[in-house]
This record gives sequence, C-alpha cells and structure tokens, in this order.
Amino acid sequence: MPETLSSQELRGASKGKTTRLSFGQAIHAATRQAMELDPKVFLYGIGVDNAAGIFGSTKGLVDLFGRERVFDTPLSEQALTALAAGAANAGLRPLLAHQRIDFMLLTMDQIVNWISLWRFKSAGKAHMPLTIRAIVGKGWGQGPQHAKSLHTWFAHVPGLQVVMPGSPYDAKGLLLASIFSNDPTIFIEGRSLYSMEEEVPDEPYFIELGKAATRRPGDDVTIVTFGSMIPTVLQAADTLAKASISAEVIDLRCLMPLDMNSVLNSVEKTGRLIVVEPGWRHFGAAAEIIAGVAEVHGMRLKAAPQRITWPHSHVPTSAPLEAAFYPTVNDVVQACRAAVTGQ
Amino acid sequence: MPDGREPTKALYTRLYRTLRLIRRSQEALIEAYHPADEMRCPMHFCLGQEAAPAALSAIIRPNDTLMSHYRSHGYFLAKGGSLAAMIAEFYGKRTGANSGLAGSMELSYGPTRFYSGAILGGMFGMAGGAAFSQKYNGTDDITVAVIGDGAMEEGIVFETLNLATLKKLPILFLCENNLYAAYSRIEDRSTSHTLVPRVAPFGLATDTFDGNDPILLYRSLDAAIERIRRGGGPAFVEIMTYRICGHVGPEDDDVIGYRTPEELAKWRTRDPLPVMRAALIQAGASTAELEDIDSSIEREIIAAFDAAKKAEFLVFEDVRKFNSSGSYDPVVSRFGATGVSTFDGAQAETKLAPY
Repeated sequence: MPETLSSQELRGASKGKTTRLSFGQAIHAATRQAMELDPKVFLYGIGVDNAAGIFGSTKGLVDLFGRERVFDTPLSEQALTALAAGAANAGLRPLLAHQRIDFMLLTMDQIVNWISLWRFKSAGKAHMPLTIRAIVGKGWGQGPQHAKSLHTWFAHVPGLQVVMPGSPYDAKGLLLASIFSNDPTIFIEGRSLYSMEEEVPDEPYFIELGKAATRRPGDDVTIVTFGSMIPTVLQAADTLAKASISAEVIDLRCLMPLDMNSVLNSVEKTGRLIVVEPGWRHFGAAAEIIAGVAEVHGMRLKAAPQRITWPHSHVPTSAPLEAAFYPTVNDVVQACRAAVTGQ
Repeated sequence: MPDGREPTKALYTRLYRTLRLIRRSQEALIEAYHPADEMRCPMHFCLGQEAAPAALSAIIRPNDTLMSHYRSHGYFLAKGGSLAAMIAEFYGKRTGANSGLAGSMELSYGPTRFYSGAILGGMFGMAGGAAFSQKYNGTDDITVAVIGDGAMEEGIVFETLNLATLKKLPILFLCENNLYAAYSRIEDRSTSHTLVPRVAPFGLATDTFDGNDPILLYRSLDAAIERIRRGGGPAFVEIMTYRICGHVGPEDDDVIGYRTPEELAKWRTRDPLPVMRAALIQAGASTAELEDIDSSIEREIIAAFDAAKKAEFLVFEDVRKFNSSGSYDPVVSRFGATGVSTFDGAQAETKLAPY
C-alpha cells in the first residue's frame, strides 16, 4: 500500500528555467519525468512506442525506458484497462493511453464496476493509483466515433477523478499530479489543443487536483469552462474587454473533484454566469455547475445563467457541418453581452 | 510423499481440513441464512466444488494472488482468509473482511491477496494485471485466476488469455467447468462443451483434470504452478466439477427444472469429501485424529458466528469517505508546486494530420 501525503501538506512554488512547449510536448515532459522519478510508473497502450507516439506525446520514451516500461499492446481495451487495475492494486502506477476517448466505451465495466469502487469496498484500505489518458478528437472529419467527449460519464461515478487540462502548463502539472495521485484518474486531452504553446517549467511540478484556476479576473460576468474550450473563452474575454465588459474566466481544470467554491466566489462577485462546455448539453457539466450556483445564489443572480455547449447531436464529419457544430468565440461573446446588458 | 516435500499424512491432513472447513462452513451458512435473515446479501455456495480450493490451499504462498468469481468462499479460505472475517462480512459487520461493504459476491481481502467479484470476466482481466506486476517487480510470485464455464463466454477473457500469453505472465487460469452458468446449460450456450479447445490456440499450456479428486488436483496444480513460478508462462487448466447445491441462496433450486435428478444424483456419488477422508485414513490417520479435526472446525464455526452477530456495523458518514483518498505519493513533496499558467488563447487550433 503506498504511503500517502495529504494534499494540504503540499506547498511550494515553481521557480527556475522554463521552455516553450506545446500541449503534446508538455504531456511528454510530464510522462518522462514521472518515469524518471518512480520505477513503478509504466506506460502502455496501442501505438505508444511507435515513431508517431500518440501525436508526439509518447515519442521516443521507449528508447529511454525500454520495452518493459513502455509497450505497445493488442487491440484489447478491456484487458488493458483490467491490467491497469490489477497492477495498480499491486502497487504499480500504470499510465494507459488511448488515442481516442471513444475506445474507452469498451472499458466501462473495468472502470465503473471495478476501478471506481475498488477503494470503497475495501473500506478505504486499497488504492487504485492508475491514470488513463484519453484524447478527444476535433476537426478534419473525426466524426461520430472519434470526437465524442465523455467526461460527464466518468464524473458521474463516485471514486473517479476527471482531469481536463486547457493549456500546456496545466497539462504537465495536472498529469504529474494524476500519475502520483493514489486515486484512479481519467485524464482527458483536447486534440485541438495539441499544437498550442506556452512557457512550461523544466522541473517537475504539481497542480493539486480539484483546484480551479482564475485565468482572467473580471467583475461583470463569470465564464466557467475547461479543457478544449479554454482558447475560445480567452479570445471571447479579450473581445468583451474591448467592449468594456469585464469577464472573469474560471478554468475548472478538473471535473472531479469539482472546485465549486471558486465558481461560487466568482459568481458572488459578478452575479452573472455563463458555462462553456466542450460536450453535449443535456445532463452535462454545465447543467451541474448552474445547478450548484442556483442552489446558493439562485435568488440573487442578475441574469439567467446560460449554457454554451455542443448541441444534442452526434458530431458530423464534413467541414461545413463541423463548423456549424462547435461553439465559437462569437457565441460566448453574445451570451456574455446579453447577460451583462440585457440585450 | 507425493511431492517430495511433505509426508503424505501431513499433506492429506491439510487437504482434508481445508476441504472439511469449506464444506461445513457452507452448510452452517445455509442453515443460518433463513429464517433469521441477518445475513442480507446474495450468497453462492460451492458444495461439491471444494476440491480445487482445498488443493490450491496447500500449494499457493502468502505473496501469491488469487482472484476468483463470486462462488468464492472456498477460495477465500484457501488463500488464508479467516473464517471469522468471512462470516462477519456476510453479516455486514465492521469486523468483516471488507467491513461489510462487499458481502459474499465481492468478498476480498488485501492482506492475503485474495479478491473476487460478481461481474465475472472483470476479475479475470484484473488477474492479468496482478501477474503483470509480479513479473514487472521480478518476483517469483504467481497469480491464480479462477473462472467458471459461464464467464468463459465474455470477451475480456479472450483478450486476457492473449495478452497473458504474449507477455509470458506468471498466471494459472483455473476454469471450473460445472456445466451451468446459473441455470443455463453449457449445451445451450455454445457448440463446444469443454474450454481447452477454445483456449489452446493462444499458445499457452493447457490441461484438463477431474475437479472432484483433491489429491489428483493437488499433484497436477502443484506441477503446473511450479512451472509457472520458474518462468514458464501462463497455463490454462480446466477441471470438470459440479455444483450440488443451488445457484444462489440457501434453498435448493431444482424446482426450476434446469437439471435432471439423475445428473445430480450421479454427481453426489462423486463427493470429494468422503474421498479425501478415506485417503487420510489410508495414510494412517486414526479415528480420534479425524474427530479432533472435525470438532475443531465445529468450534471455529460456532465462534465465527458468535463474533459476527455481536459485532457492530459501520456508519455511513464514515463509509462515504472510502470512495476516494485525496492523497498522493510522497514523491510530490519534492516537486516545485504551482505557479500560474499564462496561456495565450489566441492560437490556432491544431491542424490534424494522419499521424
């Protein structure tokens, strides 16, 4: 059984050298450093050891760590997920990578019937320190079977952590936290973010799971978002600023644990709430956030909260239909403007 | 001295004691279940199928892992689990193996490395992960994955057999073919009525044995496990056996009409307990020695029930905290921690390419 350290004991500040990395390179850096730090970490999944290396995120790691710790697999998503569960229960820290999250639907028995409840039914004695990386496709015709985002499916189940980074800096810190967390984590990556860049510290660092980040401070309206919608929302906040509307952007970073306090504190200040979710509308994360805010601030909101989400439709393949499907900067701008000005 | 390690009488005494303990604890549970209704969880008894767990109990080591299906009581005891912790689990008490949170179907106990579950193929797949960790860590520990003929029809089973063979994992796949998945006969579920032919093409070692002969099973499984322990890769062993009790619960379920009285009567004559008892007498045990074993088992059972009935339940406010730990490996205390992301969102989305 792993030793544990309560998250409250974690302190420190990242200093030192930084390098401009893409989102995919930040995932790579986190994986490499986790494997250097701890021989119990191993990486596997379909294609992790080939020259493409999951869009570059695992490229070359097999040369550094060998085939015992970085290995390709049969197309057996169920057995691979069960392997993570059995190995994690025995004290290893598996990192399983899926090139598309859609493949995880094959593994729901392992995730829901075994992994999520393993610690619970051991009366808190067992641990399941595994991380499953899953990429949500977007663009170039990914279509109905390669572009779903299933984050709410996992966030609904007790015992799972669901992490959705929106920038390279967060991707590295959150992946290191996920790998070294003693609880099972579904780590969901937006493919559309992969080439985006940011200065990232060279040393390993840690972003505590379940802590939202305020990406823009503001007073007029709170925009809550996460994952692949972060760039869209930041661009919308810039546009709104030019129109003298001050939007506060809260990046949840994790759906579970959910940092509702950061959302509530922001809405306390602004009185207005727009939630932008990279996923389907009904029974989604946006609905959950609005419900949580309504329970506390419901009678005091200055405008009706709004959801900006994918429509209740499967993802189309052709370019014009993709363009019509995904929410845009303008959608966010219009919703915020309406909330603030009443028009 | 069948295995060159232990005198026959001592070995047979261990096999008999475990077999008898499994049998008598099942019978005591069946008797106590109704009308008291203090054990409020579905329970699957293993009457008639005790030979395999009894044999394994004399072979496997504390550091080995055993993962089984929900008909698990025999295997829990075989892996060194305490009878008192098992009975208390069925009563739902905090002194149970899982503090009353798993019941009979998911009975598990980390310290003895025994696990079981109700969604059958999942446990079989996890056993692959346990064996992977044993190989990864460079130990000579092994994993035993116990499965029934029913769960052999789930897809993950074939994925796991392939992966384990590919990776040469130290795992014994032990399949109890008792002819029925709940109330469904194997002839109604597949055109092949034995499992080895379905599995052999993966390229792992396979064998078939009489599942009701504890001494034969001991010798065969001991050899199979020794081969695995020496790095020989996985093996699949099918044992032919039969459940002489109902599928679930204490009542006999033959009213459903899923099997014939003749078939049941035939298998009752193949009960492993009298076979083992006769073998032990043959090996030199006296009537007094047998009575000592039997009465110590009875005392153990009575004490386990008494303790379980007296124990407390957990409270839900404590139980809900078990869902997640919120904790990290201490390695993170060596990290620099959170600065602030200064991400510029005005960047083009990733243009996708085939790779």
